[in-house]
Amino acid sequence: MALPTLALPGTLLGPASKYAPGPGTHIHDSSVYASIAGTVASSPSLNPTTTRLPLLSISRPGEAGASDNGNILPEVDSQVLARVTRLGARFASAEILVIAPSAATSISSDAAVCSTPFAAQIRREDIRATEKDKVTVQDSFRVGDLIRAVVISLGDQGGYYLSTAKNELGVVVARGEGGEVLVPVSWREVKDLRTGRGEARKVAKPF
Amino acid sequence: MAANTDRRRINAPSGGTSAPVFAKTVLESGYLQSLRPNRTRGPNELRKTFLQTGIVPSASGSAYLEVPTASSSQSTLIPPTSSLKIAASIQGPKPLPRSAPFSPTLVLTTTVKFAPFATRHRRGYIRDSAERDLGVHLETALRGVIIGERWPKSGVEVVITILEGDEDAWWGDSGAEGGAGSGFGLLNVLAGCITVASAAIMDAGIDCVDMVAGGVAAVTGDGQKVLDPCPAEHQDLVAACAVGYLASRDEITEIWLKGDVGADPDELIEGATHAALGSVSVLREVLLENMEAKMNITKEGSKRKLEDVEMTG
Repeated sequence: MALPTLALPGTLLGPASKYAPGPGTHIHDSSVYASIAGTVASSPSLNPTTTRLPLLSISRPGEAGASDNGNILPEVDSQVLARVTRLGARFASAEILVIAPSAATSISSDAAVCSTPFAAQIRREDIRATEKDKVTVQDSFRVGDLIRAVVISLGDQGGYYLSTAKNELGVVVARGEGGEVLVPVSWREVKDLRTGRGEARKVAKPF
Repeated sequence: MAANTDRRRINAPSGGTSAPVFAKTVLESGYLQSLRPNRTRGPNELRKTFLQTGIVPSASGSAYLEVPTASSSQSTLIPPTSSLKIAASIQGPKPLPRSAPFSPTLVLTTTVKFAPFATRHRRGYIRDSAERDLGVHLETALRGVIIGERWPKSGVEVVITILEGDEDAWWGDSGAEGGAGSGFGLLNVLAGCITVASAAIMDAGIDCVDMVAGGVAAVTGDGQKVLDPCPAEHQDLVAACAVGYLASRDEITEIWLKGDVGADPDELIEGATHAALGSVSVLREVLLENMEAKMNITKEGSKRKLEDVEMTG
């Protein structure tokens, strides 16, 4: 059976033995059905070791790139860009602004900007991987810092739980008191180029 | 109506408005009844439906449904039938407020509100029990079709405004003035709400297992089954049934039976699903047409003006 170009929710796309369900589809009675209205695309499987079936996905019409896609939610293991909003003794609060698609390993041009920021928390023990007992929140982040982090849990009613316990995760943009951009000099320090004054941060490793 | 008097706003008189009484209707005893509208379409024929999506730019999804009135005769000011005009808008999916408890699935909220001028009997600004009832019925219909697991910790709000609702009886009947009619008009309103909310949800791009649509069937006094009954055209409705029906799965998510069905309600329910099939065909055509229009816009980079297409249900 040939695939339709356009699908509406409930449209039969094909048997589950021939296709794998991707975004915008679901399985019912061992067949793949559409679950949103949009254009049907079939792509080769992402990891051919586990399954050889082509992945069926449906994209909403009018989504040229993913940049205007406001309909994405943070998932466990997805990389995000967030802004620190509050510092506490045991955790820092942040708001998630940009989410990388779950298949991608890092934030690139096809990351999605959230239509509304999602509340998140970074617990003190999730800030860095080693010497967790010596970490202080105050010496790792400042309010207003942009951080790259990974979602480790959907959390409770409060917010998503983020972690920066990897080399490539941490503060990517830091600003000083006067609003000047601070440049990283090591994995734990940023400096003001003009005055030479240093501040402590958990800095993300540049690519 | 006295129970929910709104003291903060200037309310209109709580009684209905009356069409002017002409001397002819009083002098000639049979004249008023001669104006009564009759069902001209067949028992299995639905009224024409107008449906459009994407009417509210700020909402993530929206739709408007209209079942127009029959053409009015020139000899009277009494409208022959009431029409149905419903607007739906979807807010979300958006993160739940801080106070809300954790939810692994999508939290669905439905609000149904009659505009104060929607029916002959004026509605208040505060939602009354009939509106809350419709909201619960609509939520039941939609809950069965939305795949909530795809949206953890999110909420979506379905806001329905009924701009004009089907009346329970013909305006010329004096008994209809009290607003205590048979209640069969509400079933038409519910079916319309289900169809228009479904269109708005598709427009918002929320995952659904199928397209749900509403349909109504009724039994008249002489035992005849009619689809899409307009209460103004039928003086003798005995029972009616509204369903929320999933056409390609052949499932029912919502059912509302009213009146004395008799021994075999199945036939009535089946009739309502047939009426829902008509609504599904309208839904399908409108959504396909919208998608093609959107794809043309992205391809050509220019806005094509959407032409209105008259569709029959």
